[in-house]
Amino acid sequence: MIELFLLFIGTALVNNFVLVRFLGICPFLGVSKKVEVAVGMGGATTFVMTLSAIAAWFIQNFILEPFGVSRFLQYVAFILVIASLVQLVEIILKKVSPSLYQALGIFLPLITTNCAILGLALYIPIKNYSLIESTIFGIGAGVGFTMALVIMAGIREEIEFSDVPTAFQGAGITLLIAGILSMVFLGFSGLIAI
Amino acid sequence: MRTWKEFIKGLWEENAVFRQLMGMCPTLAVTNAAINGLAMGLATFFVLVCSSIIVSLIKKLIPDKVRIPCYIIIIATFVTIADLFLAAFFPDIQKVLGLFIPLIVVNCVILGRAEAFASKNTVGLAAMDALGMGLGFTWALTLLGIIREVLGMGTVFSIQVMGASFTPWIIFILPPGAFLTLGVLLGIINTFSKKKNTQASCH
Amino acid sequence: MNINGSARMVIVLAIVAILSGLVLALTFQWTKPRMDQVAEERLKSAILEVLSKATKYEEIGNDGTLFNGLDEDNNKVGIAFVAQGGGFQGTITMMIGMDVQSRQLTGMAVLSHLETPGLGARIEEDWFKGQFNAKSIDDPFIARQDVDAITGATISSNAVSNILKNTIPNVLEKYESGGGK
Repeated sequence: MIELFLLFIGTALVNNFVLVRFLGICPFLGVSKKVEVAVGMGGATTFVMTLSAIAAWFIQNFILEPFGVSRFLQYVAFILVIASLVQLVEIILKKVSPSLYQALGIFLPLITTNCAILGLALYIPIKNYSLIESTIFGIGAGVGFTMALVIMAGIREEIEFSDVPTAFQGAGITLLIAGILSMVFLGFSGLIAI
Repeated sequence: MRTWKEFIKGLWEENAVFRQLMGMCPTLAVTNAAINGLAMGLATFFVLVCSSIIVSLIKKLIPDKVRIPCYIIIIATFVTIADLFLAAFFPDIQKVLGLFIPLIVVNCVILGRAEAFASKNTVGLAAMDALGMGLGFTWALTLLGIIREVLGMGTVFSIQVMGASFTPWIIFILPPGAFLTLGVLLGIINTFSKKKNTQASCH
Repeated sequence: MNINGSARMVIVLAIVAILSGLVLALTFQWTKPRMDQVAEERLKSAILEVLSKATKYEEIGNDGTLFNGLDEDNNKVGIAFVAQGGGFQGTITMMIGMDVQSRQLTGMAVLSHLETPGLGARIEEDWFKGQFNAKSIDDPFIARQDVDAITGATISSNAVSNILKNTIPNVLEKYESGGGK
């Protein structure tokens, strides 16, 4: 039990997907302007990440490995599964909760090309996680991603009325802030022996 | 001449990294040394050119509704080929780039160009577009790699360039350095460009 | 959408997928021999690095973690084993050489790590690795006591010491039960 908790903390903080592992940078730079939007994107991504982690585990252990095709079919298999999952989530969300779909609708297609999802899926066979560990890993990754997004959105909301030099407005200043945030997260290193 | 125009735009005006802000993940992750940035750029270049050509060749055969999954399969296939090739013939590079080789699959540049250009143009133009975008991506990554390696280790392509009295600023080869270097570079480029680019895009 | 349209979609997708699978299987066949060779070379060079008298090796057991070093005349000159554990940023994997009779380590090679360049990554430097060249396996393996540490990289240094401390007893047991002579 405690290992699962440590795995969660390790994935969300110590090896934060965005600020340490460099996964999910595109949405991090593009969707982090308002806190509510960031929360929405983070939530949707966490959901897809958890499902993808579980799906990746099944695909790897029940299809790729038994047939010995992992080394050369893994990438194709994983990305197709992720793309399909996102489609599925969109369809289900539309039927089950149209209002939620409206709120998150724009983000969902973007999630497919979020390298954090594919990165997450690829880590699972590398680290040889069990099904439970994969699930926690997916949740942790999503929470870490959401944290990074929300913190960035909070800061960007604050500096909205600051006098940022024209050349740095938008992506420039965001990257500089991300650099400082990344330094902060570097402080978590060694917190947990991974 | 149209062909030349399609090629040249990817090098600067519509540079994937500095102007379109696409493919950020590998840009930040593997530019801790010049050789890594160069290798990732070339691998991406290979996948981009091959996929754009194939997509353009078969564009009339693919029904519109399944085009994205088809493009994804094609891209993932070339990425796997690149990965296997590197693992066999350049194993040290493959080890360093690691996870980021398969992540070329979700590099927005590739799917973006396939969708926005290759699927709507002749093979010749698609190839030119891909060549330009690919080279543009490569030089951007190599430049970032050079800067981070010089400041962070005092070397360029493992050749010592800073004097012995220079204490490397290790932060530059760590994650924060990636963000800071790109941010400053972007600011500098925007200062000297007519068009300012502020939005990270990923279609 | 009519049946023809749907059918066409599925067929096209299936064809693309099958072609992709075929191309990849072929590419894999073509590159596999070379990839196996690369892995073999890496393993051999690590084993020979930690067992200076060895010119070849044979595996003990079959999980790829324990090896006998052999010299030109096929005499056993020590064992080499893979040791790994958590470091500062990720897993540290090392190849360690040991002379069982004299109960000493003969060398250490770092196979992979994700430690901080310039700090924890210095575990790859000769002076750090060299301290394991004739080290008794009965030492306590505590950084800054019997193991020299790296300034500013306490966790990486501790990690190496701990990995060794934890792995050596297991390896001895495995060697003695599995194929020890």
